[in-house]
Amino acid sequence: MNGQRSGGGLRGWLERRYQLTPLLEFLRHKQVPLGPHSLAWYYLGGVTLFFFCVQVVTGALLLMYYQPGEATAYESIRFLTTKVPFGWLMRSVHSWSAQLMIFSLVLHMFSTMLLKAYRPPRELTWVSGYVLFALTLGFGFSGYLLPWNGLSYFATTVGTNLVRSVPLVGNWCLQVLRGGPDVTINTLYRFFAIHVVILPLVFVGWISLHLLFVQRQGMAPPLGAKVAPRGMKFFPSFAVRDLLLWLACFLVLLSLAVFAPYGPGIPGMDWELGEKANPMAPAYPGIKPEWYFLWEYQLLREFPPHIFGLEGPQVCLLLIVVLLGLWAVIPWLDRRAARDKPSPVLTDFGWAAILFLTFLTLMGWDLGAGAASAGPGSMPAVAARCAWWTLAAGGVVIGLRFLAGGSRWFILTGAALLQAALHGLGGVPYLPAGVIAAALAAITLAALLLGGRRSEPEAGGPG
Amino acid sequence: MRENGCKSEASRRSFLDVLLGASILGWLGSIVYPVLRYLKPLPQTGPTGPTRLTREEMAKLEQSQFVIILVNGQRVIVLESASEQVLAFSAKCTHEGCTVTYLPGQSVIWCPCHDGRFDLSGRVLSGPPPQPLPKYVVQRQPDGGILVAAQGGVT
Repeated sequence: MNGQRSGGGLRGWLERRYQLTPLLEFLRHKQVPLGPHSLAWYYLGGVTLFFFCVQVVTGALLLMYYQPGEATAYESIRFLTTKVPFGWLMRSVHSWSAQLMIFSLVLHMFSTMLLKAYRPPRELTWVSGYVLFALTLGFGFSGYLLPWNGLSYFATTVGTNLVRSVPLVGNWCLQVLRGGPDVTINTLYRFFAIHVVILPLVFVGWISLHLLFVQRQGMAPPLGAKVAPRGMKFFPSFAVRDLLLWLACFLVLLSLAVFAPYGPGIPGMDWELGEKANPMAPAYPGIKPEWYFLWEYQLLREFPPHIFGLEGPQVCLLLIVVLLGLWAVIPWLDRRAARDKPSPVLTDFGWAAILFLTFLTLMGWDLGAGAASAGPGSMPAVAARCAWWTLAAGGVVIGLRFLAGGSRWFILTGAALLQAALHGLGGVPYLPAGVIAAALAAITLAALLLGGRRSEPEAGGPG
Repeated sequence: MRENGCKSEASRRSFLDVLLGASILGWLGSIVYPVLRYLKPLPQTGPTGPTRLTREEMAKLEQSQFVIILVNGQRVIVLESASEQVLAFSAKCTHEGCTVTYLPGQSVIWCPCHDGRFDLSGRVLSGPPPQPLPKYVVQRQPDGGILVAAQGGVT
């Protein structure tokens, strides 16, 4: 049969050897679910993949000039950006593409969560995507140190020091990560190996697995529709749209890289080379990690020196691990979505998490502090301004969920907003404000459950 | 008789399973241990004992009221207080390890990373640092030089 259908030519030659027909038939029949939901969310994974490809290409080009070493790392980047023709452009595209990759990945993760695309049978697609998200953050963190400038030196010092808080093996892990007790040029050698060899190898393996899952199971239909009412052919209809979007992304990327080669100049998105790293110089104000780590940076700042007999950073790390752990296993927590029913509590949890991260990120950004950032006197004003922005964002979210989705479940979103209001506007310290908000949310939830209103979540819309 | 044969076969199989499992564990250990040992950095080498400030460091101390030096491979901040007393502390903030600086106008040691503040005895004044800054011993020498050592390091 193969021989009959394959005929001559290259296709026939390949067909006789690899029996490609079943694969081509699979691709020909592959469909993207259509329905009342927006198709936009289906493109985000592809956009992230596109930016990853840009990273691989520009990263390989940067490697042709970059030389890791005490006397060469900073100097080679300076040479690259000032002397090599279009060297500044290569670095700028690499840096902007990294930002856009993480931005589209964050959107991809949150849209997948809020649309409940993780529900069975796609639990492992979620988990593999979660691992890719963690690896991408690892790329960002390890690449940040490579220019060996003052900002990256201290940001890496803070970032790696968090590992020390891990019980029992923390110190050992810290030493292995840094190549010694402190951040030195040995740390740069290790981060270089992680950034250009270890992470890319692991990432390609995981992304293959993730894509295999997506191809085998197809894209998730909207909640409540086990089989999508209609479908769009993946080839060529969706693929051509994907390609056009990639082209648009490429144009946006190039425009940003050309017109803002050192970033927009806001904290956490600035890659001016600045001064060379000097371990013997003191830190200076304005040292901040990349924007996607700002929430952790701010959380560290909000924790008191000691809490429950433990050191503040240890409890902070525990909280971060618990929150990220909950996010990883969300397909197993969302029992209602597993039965293909709306789960407004989990939707509310997702929006509350977004607002929680927003408030911390805005504060880490020192929004409204101007040039006097990091001064202790400016903190209440910063917190107040950030609280207003968070409350405004929360108001929009609640309004849209109520009007568009008919949702009536806002307890956790309300708790996140209450914490922002108590801390930013009421002057209550961040952690007590969080405890008050969480306690009120828990009491309300308990009252609803005990009051025989267990059906409330079911009454809510899809969120 | 047959039952006995089965039992002896089962016990022989269990024995082989244990042997195989132990061999796999040993094989994995023989791979993992060298890799872990390889990754663990070697202990730092370098001069130990008290450190004497160089001429440049003395000039910097006079000019900026503080200087950061290495003592036994550790960063140490040496500062001159308003009462012209020379003090030395670990320069690593006890919060997240950033290098601290000295604010002479406020007589405060400050970590700009998370706004931790210490007084001139190393105690935490405000901010998230969980521990005071470890103090170092400072000794003025007859020729005006300054010797800095870890606690108990100067005799």
